[in-house]
Amino acid sequence: MSSNQTSPTTPAVLRFFGVDNSADKRGALYIFVLLAALLVTPIVVGNDFVYHVFITICLFAGLSTAWNIVGGYAGQLSLGHAMYYGIGAYTGMILVNAGITPWIGMFVGAAVSAVVAALIAYPCFRLKGPFYALASIAFLEVFHVLAIEMKWLTGGATGKMIPLQVGWEWMIFQDRLPSLLIAFGMLCFVLAIAQVIRHRRMGFYLIATRERESAAKAAGIPTVKVRIYAAAMSGALVSMLGTFHAMYLTFIEPDSAFDLIFSIQIVLFALVGGIGTVFGPLLGAILLVPITEISRGLLGASALGLHGFVYGVILMLVVVFMPDGVVSLLPKRARKALDPEQFDDTTGQPIGDTELDAPQLDPIQTKARPPLGDEVLKVDDLVKNFGGLKVTQHVNISLRQGEVLGIIGPNGAGKTTLFNMLSGFLEADSGSVVVMGPDGKPHTPKGVADFVSLGVGRTFQIVQPFAAMTVEENIMVGAFYHHPDVDSARRVAGEIATELGLGRFLHEEAKNLPIGGLKRLEVARVMAMRPRILLLDEVMAGINPSDLVEAIRLIKAIRDTGVSIIAIEHVMRAIMDLSDRVIVINSGAVISEGDPESVVRDEAVIEAYLGKEAGNAEA
Amino acid sequence: MDLIFTNLVNGLMLGALYAIVSVGLTLVFGIVKVINFAHGEFLMVAMFLVFFATAYFGVHPYVTLVVVLPLIFGLGMLVQRVLIEPLQDSDEHIMIFATVGLSIAMINLMLMLFGPDIYSTPSSGLRTVVDMGPAMFLTGQLNILIAAIALVGGIHLFLTRTQLGRAIRATGQNRAAAQLMGINVSWVYMVTFGIGVSCVGLAAVLIAPLYPTSPEVGQYFVLLSFVVVVMGGLGSISGALLAAMIIGIVDAFAGFYLGANVKDLVVFGIFLLVLIFRPQGLFGGARNMSHVS
Amino acid sequence: MTMQKKLARALLPAAFAVAASTSVISTASADEVKFGALYPLSGPLALLGEESFRGLEIAVEEINANGGVQGMQIVLEGGDAVDQNQAIGEARRLISRENVEAIFGTYASSRSIAASQVTELAGVPYFELGAVAHEITNRGFENMYRTNPTARHMARTHIDMILEAVAPALGRDAADLRIGIIHEDSNYGSSVASFQELYGEEAGLNIVMVEGYPATNVDMSSIVLRLRERDVDIVMQTSYQDDSILFLRQANERGFEPSAIIGGGGGYSMMPTAEAVGFDVIEGVLNADFTQYAVNEGFAVGVDEFVEAYRAKYGSDPRSGHSLNNYAGAKIVLEALDQVEGFTPETIREALMAVDIPAGTTAVGYGAKFAENGQNDAAFMMGMQWRDGELITVYPPDAAVADLEL
Repeated sequence: MSSNQTSPTTPAVLRFFGVDNSADKRGALYIFVLLAALLVTPIVVGNDFVYHVFITICLFAGLSTAWNIVGGYAGQLSLGHAMYYGIGAYTGMILVNAGITPWIGMFVGAAVSAVVAALIAYPCFRLKGPFYALASIAFLEVFHVLAIEMKWLTGGATGKMIPLQVGWEWMIFQDRLPSLLIAFGMLCFVLAIAQVIRHRRMGFYLIATRERESAAKAAGIPTVKVRIYAAAMSGALVSMLGTFHAMYLTFIEPDSAFDLIFSIQIVLFALVGGIGTVFGPLLGAILLVPITEISRGLLGASALGLHGFVYGVILMLVVVFMPDGVVSLLPKRARKALDPEQFDDTTGQPIGDTELDAPQLDPIQTKARPPLGDEVLKVDDLVKNFGGLKVTQHVNISLRQGEVLGIIGPNGAGKTTLFNMLSGFLEADSGSVVVMGPDGKPHTPKGVADFVSLGVGRTFQIVQPFAAMTVEENIMVGAFYHHPDVDSARRVAGEIATELGLGRFLHEEAKNLPIGGLKRLEVARVMAMRPRILLLDEVMAGINPSDLVEAIRLIKAIRDTGVSIIAIEHVMRAIMDLSDRVIVINSGAVISEGDPESVVRDEAVIEAYLGKEAGNAEA
Repeated sequence: MDLIFTNLVNGLMLGALYAIVSVGLTLVFGIVKVINFAHGEFLMVAMFLVFFATAYFGVHPYVTLVVVLPLIFGLGMLVQRVLIEPLQDSDEHIMIFATVGLSIAMINLMLMLFGPDIYSTPSSGLRTVVDMGPAMFLTGQLNILIAAIALVGGIHLFLTRTQLGRAIRATGQNRAAAQLMGINVSWVYMVTFGIGVSCVGLAAVLIAPLYPTSPEVGQYFVLLSFVVVVMGGLGSISGALLAAMIIGIVDAFAGFYLGANVKDLVVFGIFLLVLIFRPQGLFGGARNMSHVS
Repeated sequence: MTMQKKLARALLPAAFAVAASTSVISTASADEVKFGALYPLSGPLALLGEESFRGLEIAVEEINANGGVQGMQIVLEGGDAVDQNQAIGEARRLISRENVEAIFGTYASSRSIAASQVTELAGVPYFELGAVAHEITNRGFENMYRTNPTARHMARTHIDMILEAVAPALGRDAADLRIGIIHEDSNYGSSVASFQELYGEEAGLNIVMVEGYPATNVDMSSIVLRLRERDVDIVMQTSYQDDSILFLRQANERGFEPSAIIGGGGGYSMMPTAEAVGFDVIEGVLNADFTQYAVNEGFAVGVDEFVEAYRAKYGSDPRSGHSLNNYAGAKIVLEALDQVEGFTPETIREALMAVDIPAGTTAVGYGAKFAENGQNDAAFMMGMQWRDGELITVYPPDAAVADLEL
């Protein structure tokens, strides 16, 4: 059994931050030492300039960590994060000038930024990679122009200053120590939030959404909502640091507050440290800020542009030779401690080093099959056209509880399109899909989330694993639907993995599984959601004959727990063995329906499909 | 009425300028699937080349094309080979950072070499005013308009009528299939990238006599190029031409009726609306939707 | 700065832990006094930042050669204000590590504002010799002084020049002239433009258009069109270089010929601008800026000596008027400091407040008398005109080498 199991001695505080095993504890210790050094060094050295360098490190590490929530976890590459920094800075400045302390202004700015971030994230959630980046740059430019034009609020191009009122109330100090304490405190706050998000359901949801959006939706993740949440959280944190920095600078102007280069710098620290890891941005800032200072001193004054040139070259070198950041260069032990999620705890080896054994299913105990129940799904006269192409023509389906319905038909017959309509991924042109809810009442769900909430689960013909996650984490994403807390989701995932013969690959990254394993992972993820109606899209394709027997037994076992199943299959043996009834689809229309044996003998079916396919299946 | 006509002509000239800068960007995106954030910097480097070639050989700026084009083509191939190709299969963010890094490095390299000063290529008669009543433009601007249309037509012919062009299109549509058909994909990408930046080489030759050259000059053009490329539909070369004309005209009218500063809000506003509501661009259907999920 | 020093400074951040134990914090020896020199020496503002620094350097060498200040030799400790955050960091280093008595700077307004917020908190005097933002000496600071004329003075010169020289030269009543103000929309252009508006309205001028634009604009034809539609007689443009060139060219090509174009420093003072647009196009264009070199030597006393000293030290002609203004400003401050004992903020304030130098006696022409807020109220900008490929001083008449002609 995995050592990921919570050890009873772990204090509740640590567990709150996702520290729940020995490797995590070691990691926490490293981080603690690193952070302590960040605080203690300037105090020991006691020089104002050193204070300044360390305050700058804390600031950039904080900004970069906050960016990472949306840029790393959610995978949306914002190059416009200076926008939130600017909003925080300006809000703080404006409120201080109105006599309100920045301690309040900080939260006002954060609220404004969160709203702005959400408003931007909502329409932009569909945009990928470079297009999200372009949109974020455009929004940044818009804010830049607004800051210049809204003179009555922002002071226009001249910028805004604050009166030099010294004291904690105004966040302005003669000494440097209080500023360092605030910057350090804020960094710890941001790191804590980043760590908590990463190790709770939200973190899994964000990464799942980043990896495979449709699979994430099918797993019941409100993908738009989690992205908006990440954007708002990230924007709010960046904004708070912006308020602090504005008080530290005591002066801001549109050109420096809404600066594209500043945005890129924030991203650069995360990139150099390791995007998507909790502590990568911190490492990046600790490394780069002093290097920046040194290169500026060494090169800056002597040659105009050299410093920027070095910056650009570092950026290119990092992406070519070290795309996973400094974190990936650390010795295995340290890496493991810093990001234990990436490692198999039992051996301490990076995943991928272990040899993959041929997957073996444990024998499955079949219970006595319960009698068929009432109708749980009714499809009435479903029609769908793509332009002139009639992909679904007046299809009617009825499914009873505990029944297995096989769907067969030649390639391009419209089977997967039908599944997409039965799971909410596609809206029908006309006709209805009625699902009996757990409450016993009929529902007409609209959209994936509705279907999921009624207990309709599906797999994908082309497997959609969350490649960067382990098998356990993949299954956990499904388990979260009924078990929001990490511990019980992990337990459920472990149980299901064992049931489906994936137990030994629990800590393997999904991308390392063979195709049969991936198919099984699809089923495991959807089973973790405890579906009432299961849609299986060619889960048998490509698995070897001995596994086929086990797979059939597995599906029977699932059926016998009262789950209703619709299975698209090409493997005739499975269809014949499993199905209570079979529907044959050709050119979007049902051409035959009945028990497997009678369908196989149907002239129309043989003509349309089985004539050549049946031979193939036997081969 | 006169004013509308004047603004229209101004807008068309401006549109031609945006078009000739954007064509290469959209070509590279369409085929190599890379948004080249350093596109403006290739323009800048090419403009420096034009300046020095003109000064060194003492020839008309247009003549320097024979020097600039091969050099910038080679530079483009080199960048594709050394920087882009090794990253072809990595995450999207990696590619963004690679070209952003290239952009920062190129600007600062030129800053190191030539300082922040401006370099003015002699206008060589290209700033001669053509006076058509309310509408006035420069011969150099007219040449840009003609060249932009010719370039779009030329690239279209090249892609549809030549062996290499067809190979490029095939690779753009399906890289794996192209590979199976025996196309040297790596070579095609290099050539495409080279052609893409050669387009700004041509643009540089036409623009340098009209606009002063400085290390920052690429930045002035590149944001608008992105607007044009997205509006025109990614990878669509004729779409880019049309979009550039629209942006040019919007630019001219907004600049005149709303003011120079507000026009940026209008242009970026349009850009964001297009990105959000018609990410496939203003023209054509869902041809290239690879950038949205 | 020696190479070793440079290296020491550069390695400082890495070596601070060591530095602490060995306590190498340098203090000036008994017969030396240390001042900070904070300029942008890298980044996009480096060229003129360095030019400004050279003026200060020459002033310090001259003073040191004449026995120094209060009998002590001046040592300058450099700082690189490449951006706001860095300006603050460097100011802190100069104050705490180098223990400077005061800081000179800064050329760039935003860096000056940022850095002087630090010095004010630390109670260290700050002498601004070149930044023009009005706000710098408008914050109620105790220890902030500025010797150079500001955005406000630039606009003052613009308006005075229109009233006293341009209108008479055109033979028209100033109130009848239609005035258009265009400016790049960062701090510099915006603040000059707002003072132009203020003073213009006070003087009863007819301002028909005020418009900002981003300095990265690639086309100004719509602005030219707007100006022409409003029948503008006099255009005032406050701009950097690219936008100056763009405007002058496009105005010329579109046949827009106002009675006068008046530039505000930036691009209008630079030879490459004139070369780019053509000497025939820029002929007659007016400009207001810091004192430049084509100025009446009887009024700008010592400007020739400065140019000689500059050539001797740097082997070339000064690249702009920034070095001259920093030189003159530094001399005003350092000579004042020689009149008192010690360098406490109080004695420095006493020394500066006692300064009263009449116009026509310094290398920049303008005099010095500091107001309570630390601004040199006797400073002003010169009016200049492009004539035969040269930028010559034409206003005020005392400093002029030729009359303004249109």
